[in-house]
Amino acid sequence: MTETDTRSGETEEAVRDHETGIDLWRVVTAPTVWAAHFLVCYVGAAVVCAKTGRDAPLGAARDLVGWTTVVALALLAVQFWSLWRARGLSVSGGDLVFEHNSPEERHRFLCHVALMLTVLSVIGVLYVALPAFLLETCR
Amino acid sequence: MSETMTSPAPLPAPAPDQDDPAVRAAQEGRLREAWKQPPGWRYLSAVNNTEIGVWYIATAFVFMMFAGVLALLVRVQLAVPGNDFLSAETYNQAFTLHGTAMMFLFAVPIFEAVAILILPSLLKARDLPFPRLSAFGYWCFLIGGVFVCGSIFFGVAPNGGWFMYPPLSTEQGGLGADIWLLGLSFIEVASIAAAVELIVGVLKCRPPGMHLNLTPLYGWYVLIVGVMILFAFPPLIAGDLLFEMERAFDWPFFNPDRGGDPLLWQHLFWIFGHPEVYIVFLPSIALLAMMVPTFARRPVAGYSWIVLSAVGTGFLSFGLWVHHMFTTGLPSISLGFFSAASAAVAIPTGIQIFVFIATLSLGRVVKSVPLLYAMGALAIFVAGGLTGVMVALVPFDFQAHDTYFVVAHLHYTLFGGMVFPLFAGIHYYYPLLGGNMLSRKLGIVSFWMMFTGFNVTFLPMHLTGLRGMPRRVFTYDPDLGWNALNLVSTVGAFLFAAGFLVFVWDVLRPKGEKDRAKRNPWDAGTVEWLQRMPPENWGARCVPRIESRNPLWEDPEFLRKYDEGRFYLPDAEDLKRETLITSVLDAEPIQCLRVSGPAWITLGAAFSLGGSFIFATFHWWTATILAALAALACILYWLWTGTAQHPERNERDIGLGTRVPLYVSGPKATGWWAMFITMTGDLTAFFGLVFGYFYYWTIAPVFPPPQIEGPGWGWPLAAAALFVLAWAATLAARETNARGRIGLARGALVVALGATVAGSAAILAGPWTHGMDPTVNVYPAIVWLLGIWTVIHAGAGVVMLGFCLAASLFGRMTPDYDADIRNVALYWHFMLLTAIVTALVTGGFPLIS
Repeated sequence: MTETDTRSGETEEAVRDHETGIDLWRVVTAPTVWAAHFLVCYVGAAVVCAKTGRDAPLGAARDLVGWTTVVALALLAVQFWSLWRARGLSVSGGDLVFEHNSPEERHRFLCHVALMLTVLSVIGVLYVALPAFLLETCR
Repeated sequence: MSETMTSPAPLPAPAPDQDDPAVRAAQEGRLREAWKQPPGWRYLSAVNNTEIGVWYIATAFVFMMFAGVLALLVRVQLAVPGNDFLSAETYNQAFTLHGTAMMFLFAVPIFEAVAILILPSLLKARDLPFPRLSAFGYWCFLIGGVFVCGSIFFGVAPNGGWFMYPPLSTEQGGLGADIWLLGLSFIEVASIAAAVELIVGVLKCRPPGMHLNLTPLYGWYVLIVGVMILFAFPPLIAGDLLFEMERAFDWPFFNPDRGGDPLLWQHLFWIFGHPEVYIVFLPSIALLAMMVPTFARRPVAGYSWIVLSAVGTGFLSFGLWVHHMFTTGLPSISLGFFSAASAAVAIPTGIQIFVFIATLSLGRVVKSVPLLYAMGALAIFVAGGLTGVMVALVPFDFQAHDTYFVVAHLHYTLFGGMVFPLFAGIHYYYPLLGGNMLSRKLGIVSFWMMFTGFNVTFLPMHLTGLRGMPRRVFTYDPDLGWNALNLVSTVGAFLFAAGFLVFVWDVLRPKGEKDRAKRNPWDAGTVEWLQRMPPENWGARCVPRIESRNPLWEDPEFLRKYDEGRFYLPDAEDLKRETLITSVLDAEPIQCLRVSGPAWITLGAAFSLGGSFIFATFHWWTATILAALAALACILYWLWTGTAQHPERNERDIGLGTRVPLYVSGPKATGWWAMFITMTGDLTAFFGLVFGYFYYWTIAPVFPPPQIEGPGWGWPLAAAALFVLAWAATLAARETNARGRIGLARGALVVALGATVAGSAAILAGPWTHGMDPTVNVYPAIVWLLGIWTVIHAGAGVVMLGFCLAASLFGRMTPDYDADIRNVALYWHFMLLTAIVTALVTGGFPLIS
């Protein structure tokens, strides 16, 4: 564990202005993409099935889910890449404890939280996309 | 700049000598004076979080015991087959009220109650920013709860199940469903009030230096749950509105004969209902997150993983609602999406549980009663979570739906995820209330009685359910193989109740010398344990500067420095109640906020608003309107006399060489945030109604129905234009006022007022001039309702604009003291969005569909 050695070690802290860097909006970006993907898939498929009838094939709904998933994954990839870069640019610490008392450490912490939420959102998006490819009709 | 700003600043006073005991004693005397509890019968006018929090918790527990007695009645009735202990009607009322009271009067309010009580302590804030709002919320909760629960004594309690499905509950006569709807809508007001208070509390009231990465996990959970309330409760308020319009005025929202659909209620209810489970669960887990590190004697392992999984759970919990509706005949693709999300939510939930287990395995565990409850909670919750994954699978759910298997599952999640962690939390935090400990011996006895009783009650219910016993039947035949299982469950329920009484006795019994708590009785590391024993009413001797997550473990001098007032705000020089407001991310001090003290006006507002809801239940419309006007008058008086007061000087020395303003406006101010948060919730409710409009479009072959005339496009377009004008004039008033052009600002306010009134008339003129009858079909009904919603909000906008105009005329609002117009301008952004969406949907959509 890196936990103990950073506590004692003299970690060099970057000088970061207060209230700059990753903020709470960036933290919720990825889950918001998941939520938007979920809503588009659910509402889109529900409308397709309501308007075409129960025996209709899933065709249009599946296309919608497929393309929405591609867009969502692309957005999440951009988010992941930018957070990964922000994380690499931080000069202080390499640990996952985030217990120092500085704006830079808060920035690193939120960066990590946002990054891992992006991973969780990717899993969520893939889970939600699956049914469209496992089912055949609206029934 | 105003005259107060240009007057020469007083010379900074020399820093008080904190080494001098006499100086410190004088400071403590002034703090005590400023924060003292109102004596005698005035105690009821208290608004401080310590009083409100205790009342809130006690009231929630009284409702819980009431609902628990109902559960025992239910269990007695089911103990043997063919029992006639309760009639079918009384049984229906008992189980409906049991579920309703447990969810709406205990599970959600107890979160608010505990958070209002301990959050300031965890942040070492003297109080939350809106004490009167907390008090108002509490009184709303009490009135609504007594009204709903009291109905059973008159035999008119709701009896349609705690989720009130139409068509049963829209078609049945009597008052039950109305009491449920109006009583609970009123309590939802209290929840949203608490959400505002708690979100602003976590974001803006952290002590200096408490960057987000140092915030106690409880604070994170409260923030997440507060935001979830804003998105979960409003759809139910929208649903309640549709429901009551159908019951009171026969607008056919859930009636399929006239284009409505009962399933819409299920959607709106469960969009609220499923996140609500997590709204109940997360704050209780947060209590575990505070005590597990204490008893493991080490910092929590994986702080960031808990934060991110709590955020993840908060989001994913909104993608689960249809798993309550798997058997309603929705297309299997819809079920698939929700089944997938239901499985996905197990990932972040699991992370939180594993972090607790890891923290305990890495530490040196100290045995204690709170930890015993925590371990019991984890065991029960894991079992409930696993049956949750089972019922998330659609084919299994088809079998288990509406059987006792689901009853067992939901009780396992709620007891493991909420009840046992709450008992753990009460044991843990009890010393903060009055400086006494709960008994270790009684704690262990009550734990084992409750833990055993719980499992004896609910473990057999899985089997009862799998053997086919449906929920909500008041009796059953003796030859179905359910007899022994039901009898065992009943015995277990009484064992649990007995264990709970031991717990209650422990809490209430008179405490002696040996029960006194020493300072920091659990040797914890977090700042709430700075509190002196017995506690003082001032919340914090001073507001500490935070350098780490566990200052009491990391800094051996911390307690002494705190006691000697060597941090911020060690004094109440002006004998006013003050707390610090800091920035969101890095907690830099930005304001010394004067919070309001004891007041009766909050009671007046709560009782008159409560009256308007109660009178509406009985359709006494004149009384309803009078009570609503009285509530409005109380609230206006409260705002005028109690909020954003002009300070007698601009800045205050808060110690450690820091000076901050006493008055701020715009996004720095807590009032601005409260407006933003409230209106986010309000917008969610509006989108619930818009969702209804489009839902009717999806289910109807042609929508709008061709035989019914719509509102046309002319009036909605005119309305939209007028609301744009009102919005622009409001912004102009804000800007001209800030530039000192007061006359121009007043003129702009008058223009905005006129445009709002005209816009409101225009939005209603559409359906009115086209003769749309809301009882004929759901289409005119939803068009009218969207219009009425907009007009009610425009009415609030008129009141606000009038308030600003009066404030400008009477010198309350000036170029420097402009919080009123800044908050009102923020309201108008939301108002404009509401008006434009209404115009586009009602006027524009028929043109393209």
